[in-house]
Amino acid sequence: MREFAARLIAHETRGNKSFETRAAAAFLAGEKLRPQLSTLVGIAGYRALLSRALALAGPEVPWLRAVHVKTDGSFDGLDELGAQVGPEKTVEGSVVVLAQLLGLLVAFIGENLTLGLAREVWPELPLNSLDSAEGENDEKQKSRG
Amino acid sequence: MKNKNHAGKRKSEKKAVNLPARVAIRRLPTGVRGLDDILGGGIPEFSFNIIAGTPGCGKTTLAHQFVFANATAKAPALYFTVLGEPALKMLRYQQQYSFFDESRLGNAIRFINLSDVVLHKDLDAVLQEIIKEVTAANPGVVVVDSFRTVVRKAMAGASELEMQSFIQRLALFLTSWEATSFLVGEYTVDEMRDNPIFTVADGLLWLSQVAERNSVVRKLQIFKLRGVASVPGLHTIRIGDDGLQAFSRTLGLVPKATRPVRRRRLSVGIPDLDKMMGGGIPEGDSLLVAGPSGTGKSALATQFIAEGLRRGEPGIMAIFEERPRGYMERADSFGLNLVTPQKKGKLEILYLRPLDLSVDETMQEILDAIVRVGAKRLAIDSLVGFEMALAPGFRADFRESLYRMIAALTGAGVTILSTVEVEDKFTEMSLSHYTISFLTDDIIRLRYVEIDGQLRKVMVVTKMRGGNHSKDIREYVITDKGMVVIRPRSTEYDGLTTGIPRRTGPRQVQKEEAPPEPKAKK
Repeated sequence: MREFAARLIAHETRGNKSFETRAAAAFLAGEKLRPQLSTLVGIAGYRALLSRALALAGPEVPWLRAVHVKTDGSFDGLDELGAQVGPEKTVEGSVVVLAQLLGLLVAFIGENLTLGLAREVWPELPLNSLDSAEGENDEKQKSRG
Repeated sequence: MKNKNHAGKRKSEKKAVNLPARVAIRRLPTGVRGLDDILGGGIPEFSFNIIAGTPGCGKTTLAHQFVFANATAKAPALYFTVLGEPALKMLRYQQQYSFFDESRLGNAIRFINLSDVVLHKDLDAVLQEIIKEVTAANPGVVVVDSFRTVVRKAMAGASELEMQSFIQRLALFLTSWEATSFLVGEYTVDEMRDNPIFTVADGLLWLSQVAERNSVVRKLQIFKLRGVASVPGLHTIRIGDDGLQAFSRTLGLVPKATRPVRRRRLSVGIPDLDKMMGGGIPEGDSLLVAGPSGTGKSALATQFIAEGLRRGEPGIMAIFEERPRGYMERADSFGLNLVTPQKKGKLEILYLRPLDLSVDETMQEILDAIVRVGAKRLAIDSLVGFEMALAPGFRADFRESLYRMIAALTGAGVTILSTVEVEDKFTEMSLSHYTISFLTDDIIRLRYVEIDGQLRKVMVVTKMRGGNHSKDIREYVITDKGMVVIRPRSTEYDGLTTGIPRRTGPRQVQKEEAPPEPKAKK
């Protein structure tokens, strides 16, 4: 799941040369899931899932413990904390949170429906499996080609 | 007289007028096995329906089955979830059913959560949100689950008139957009009176759970369905791996097919018994074998099926007491092989003993098996075991249900042998405590008699609807060949039917039999 999340974030941050700009774009990957998930489970449902993902990411990324989810489902305090921990750790943190969020979805609705949701958000990516290696290779080949 | 002629003329004039064709209402399949028949063909297209009932009846599952049966990418289904079961849980649980095809989610089936609008805004905003989504998606099916929560929230701040107006605008809009819609809600029957939702709805499908003693059975009732002649009354439903399955209470109530005057006779595998019946069981008959425990009813049922298999007639054994293994072992001890025909798909042994069974479910199971193997013969062993397997609520109607079942099964072209256990009284010979002889064409009675210091077995054919039969009371034994009729009728005894006959003639010389009588080896 971690690799899959990393792949989505790499896709979102592609083209951003510096760590600073990549850090700013990293959490956008999770944000992109918000409309789809809010339509499915409501804003309150999305907020509950994201809060749980943050809580699960906390032990691994301690600085995320100070981040909260606002009523509209956006992150509260991310900019300030991101500036403190630096761009590299911000990108790492975004991967962990997204992986936890996707992991929750897999636990609730299964791998296929989770993949279906991800495909709706990133139709340009070949997302065949949550085992990132499969689609990633296709993607790499495409970019080489 | 004058008036009559005038009226007749008007009638013929009316006939001559070229009236516009009536609108044809297309029926949509529900995706629920058995329900389309109850609905008179399916759910009318563009109708506005309510699926109501208490929690746990299967309302959401029914809505899902309809959605999966009808949604396409071109005419998708919009499933609005409100404050009831969260969509995440809904998807989690519904995907366990076989009809759930996850590849259609997002494309043909879309879930939209309305909770925030319902919680924070008024009825107009809810309607506008639905209109917005429906206009954008152009769906063929719309579900609001649970609509009850919309109403509950709305009623807190809106008048009854506003509520009625909302429902009417919603119904009008959804129908105008050519959507077949369902409002799913938890209601009790008492709430139906004066409730605008039920007035506006074209269809009202009511699900309930009926408890009797320790058993609970799910029921379905079609309270109304405009434009369609649905089957009235309470129908049994069961939720299994395929979702809901409905069993019409009129399942099997079909006009009895006319039988040819001269019908083929089917051998039961006991030549002397065939002769007693005038050549065997007339094809398509229902034969009842009644007798006390240990008289060989199951043995006779096994021989009947095995003889059919030997003659290339596939069979079904629906057993309610003994386990299939016991059957196979008995057959094996008679030198009859039931294993190979099962492997070849010529025989199915249905062991039907779930709790809270209904006659309709049993009938459906047997009918399905008949189609699967192309069965010509069916053994039901026994009716007493069958009754015991039923939920208490169904036992009261057992006779009527059995009548429907036998009619449906013989209507399907099979010849039935049913067994029933009766208690032997030594003053009379009853046929069955069910008084069910009306549903059988033929009856064979087995009983014990005390003769010469032995408890022996005798049989007599008491009824053959399709022809004449022997009046003889014949003695039989169960050997390693199965049931064997061993002697011609006894003329030296009176009162054999009482079980304690009186000798009226000289004792016939007979070979002494080493007790116990030769019996099938296990």
